[in-house]
Amino acid sequence: MKRFIYFLFVSVFVLVLVGCGGQKETADEGGTGDSGDSQVKIVITNGKGEISEQFNEAAKTFMEAYPDIEVEVHSKAVGDTLNPYDKLTASGVTVTIAMFEPYEAMTKYKDIALDLSDEKWNEETSDALTDEEGRVIGFPFAIEGMGLVYNEDVVKNAVGDDFDPFAINTRDRLIELLDKIKESGIEHPVAYQTEAWSVGNHYSSLFLNQEGDPAAMLDKLANGSIKLIENEVWNGYYDTLDLLISEEYNAYGERPLGQYYDSAHVAVGNGESAILFNGNWAFDSLQALEGTNFGFMPVPVDNNPDNPLNNKIAVGPTQVLFINKNATPEEQEAAKTFLNWLVYEEAGQDFLVNKAQIISAFKNNPYTVTNPLGVAISEAIANGQTMPFSTNYINAGEWSTIVGPEVQKYIAGEITREDLAAFFEDYFKNQ
Amino acid sequence: MVNRKRKILDWGNSILFLGPTTFFFVITVIIPFIYGIYLTFHSMSTPTDPLVFSGVENYVQAINDTRFWESLWITIKFVFATTILINIVGFCLAYLVTLVIERAKVQNFLRSAYFTPNLIGGLVLGFIWQFVFVQILPAIGDFTGIKWLELGWLGDPVMAFWALVIVTVWQQSGYMMIIFIAGLISIPKDLMEAATIDGAGPLKRLRYVILPLMVPSFVVTIFLSLRNAFMIYDLNLSLTDGGPYNSTLMATMHVVNKAFIEYDYGTGQAEAIVLFIIVAVITGLQVYFSKKKEIEA
Repeated sequence: MKRFIYFLFVSVFVLVLVGCGGQKETADEGGTGDSGDSQVKIVITNGKGEISEQFNEAAKTFMEAYPDIEVEVHSKAVGDTLNPYDKLTASGVTVTIAMFEPYEAMTKYKDIALDLSDEKWNEETSDALTDEEGRVIGFPFAIEGMGLVYNEDVVKNAVGDDFDPFAINTRDRLIELLDKIKESGIEHPVAYQTEAWSVGNHYSSLFLNQEGDPAAMLDKLANGSIKLIENEVWNGYYDTLDLLISEEYNAYGERPLGQYYDSAHVAVGNGESAILFNGNWAFDSLQALEGTNFGFMPVPVDNNPDNPLNNKIAVGPTQVLFINKNATPEEQEAAKTFLNWLVYEEAGQDFLVNKAQIISAFKNNPYTVTNPLGVAISEAIANGQTMPFSTNYINAGEWSTIVGPEVQKYIAGEITREDLAAFFEDYFKNQ
Repeated sequence: MVNRKRKILDWGNSILFLGPTTFFFVITVIIPFIYGIYLTFHSMSTPTDPLVFSGVENYVQAINDTRFWESLWITIKFVFATTILINIVGFCLAYLVTLVIERAKVQNFLRSAYFTPNLIGGLVLGFIWQFVFVQILPAIGDFTGIKWLELGWLGDPVMAFWALVIVTVWQQSGYMMIIFIAGLISIPKDLMEAATIDGAGPLKRLRYVILPLMVPSFVVTIFLSLRNAFMIYDLNLSLTDGGPYNSTLMATMHVVNKAFIEYDYGTGQAEAIVLFIIVAVITGLQVYFSKKKEIEA
C-alpha cells in the first residue's frame, strides 16, 4: 500500500514536471513558426495596467487591419513596481514599443530610444518627449493634468451660472470665491487630502514652471544660484497652500494631515466641500452623485492677473511610448505603423479616447473622454491655458518618500518656511 | 536485509510527506534568499543591467542610511508595544473563554468571534480601520463632545502610532488566544485540584500553577508576535502609509520604498539582510532564554 502511494506521488510529480516542460516547448515552436513566414511580430509593453483589456482588444483590431503584423501586448499589473520592459528584456525578449513614465524615460531608458523626429504625427501634437538635443524620442500616449478641482454645482450655487474658472487668476480672487462659497452655506469650502505625493510631487513641483522650462529651472537649482526663501513664486505657492489648509477654509484645518484621500474626495464629490488640489484621475473617487460636473481652476501664486502661472493648469504626458533602437528595422517599421494607427485611424482614435478613456495629445482626435476633468483638460489644451506638467521633471520615488514628508512637516507646523527652503536647496544641490 | 528494506521505506515516507513542502520551501524561500544575499554584493541600476561586483558597498550605504535606522527605531518601539499587549490580551481572552466562561456554546461562540479578525488580511483591515480612525471616531467625538476624539487619529504622529498598535493587537490577539487555549487545556486537572485543596485561590493558582506551566505557549506566542511586529508591512501601508511625515514608517516599508520606489535595489536588499539578521538574533535569543524557563508538569 505504502509503496503504491509512493508510486502514485512520484508519478503525479513527474507528470506535472513533464506537463510544464511540454507547454513551454510548444510555445517555443509556435514562436519559431511565426517568424518563418513574412509576418513581423512586435512586442508592446503597456504601463497602464488598468487598460490592459482595452489594449489587448486594440491589438486584435489592429491585427485585423494589418494581417502581416503580429502584436503581443504585455501589461503591467496594477500596483506592480517592476516595469514589464525590464522583465522582458531580462528574459531575452526585444520589446519593440515600450511605455514609460517621462522621468524614467529621460533618465534610465533614454539610450534605447529611436529618433522619431521625422514622424508625421509630430504635426498634431506639442506634447512629444524630446531629449537634450531636441530630437523627438517619446510618443505622448496619455495626457494628464492637475490644478484646483472644483465641484461645479457648489461653486455655481455660490457665485452664479456664469462662473469662469480661469477668472480666478489671483490669490485675492480665490479668497473672494472661498468666502462666497462659505456664505452660500458650505462650512469648509476646501477639503484637501495633503498626502505626501500630492503636497510633494504635485504641488511642490509647480514652482518649477516659473521661467517656462522646468528643466532649466532645475539646472539653476542644482548649481545653487537660486535662494528659494527669496523666490517670490516659491513662496507664493506656499502662501496659497497655507490658505488651502487654513482652519478657516479647510475641512481638516485643525489637523491638516492624516489619510484624508477618500474622505476629501467624497466631501467634494457630494458637495459638502467644493475644492481640492488633484488631477483628472481624481474623478473616479469624486463621482459620489450621478451627474455632478467638475472642473479645474489654476492655482494662483500671487495677485498679478497677468502672471501666466495664475492663468494656466499643469498638463503634460504622463506615459510616453518609445520605439526600441535594438529592434530590427522591420519591427521598427511595424511599430511606426502602430503609432500612426493610434493617431490617424478611426479605430485607433476610438481605442485611445472612447475605450481606454485617455486624454489624447493629438489635435486631430475628434473624441473626448467622458470624465469631466478630462474634458476640462482638453479645453485648456485647445485654449492654450496649459503649462508643463512639472511632476515629469522630478524623481517621483524620492519626492514621495523624502521630499513629500518634509512638506508635510511644514504643513503640520513642525518646521518653518525657512527650514523647508533650506531643505529644498540642499536637495536640489545634491541631485 | 529487513533493516535495509525498512530504511528505503522510511526514505519513501519522508519524501512522500516532506518532499512537496521542502520542494516549495526551497524554490520560494531558500533559493531566493541565497540569491538575494548574492545580489547585495553587486550593483545594478535596473533589474536588467548586468551585475557588477561591488563588494560591501551596498552594506556601507545601508549602514549610513539614517532613515533606515530611524525606521528601525520606530519598529522597535512598535515591537515592544505590540508584543506585550498582544500576549496580555491574548492570554486574558484565553483565560476568559476557558476557565471563566464554562458553557460550551458561549465558549465556542466567543472563541470564533475573537479569532475572526485574524482571518481578514492586513490590507483590508488597514482600509477598514482607516475609516474608523478618520471618520467614525471623529464623528463620535463630535457627537459626544469628547475633545481628543474630534480630529482624525492618523494626522498626529503619536496617535497614528497607537492606531497601528491597536489594530495589530486586535488582529493578532485572537490567534495567540488559540495557542493559549491549547496550553490551558493541557494543564493537568489533578494539579489544579491539588492546589485548590491546598487553599490556593484563583490568583494564587494563576501565579504558581498556570503561568509556570504556560511558559511553552508563551515561548511560541512571543516568538510569533515579535516576528510579526518586525515584519509588518501590509497594515503599515494601508493604514498610515508611513505618515504623517514618515513618523510611522517601519523598517520593512522603508526597505520596500528604498528598492522599489526610489529604485535603489542594492541598498534596499542589503537593508533587508541587515533587518533579517537583527530579527533572527533577537528572536533567537528570546527562544533560547525562555526555553530555559520551561518546566515539566
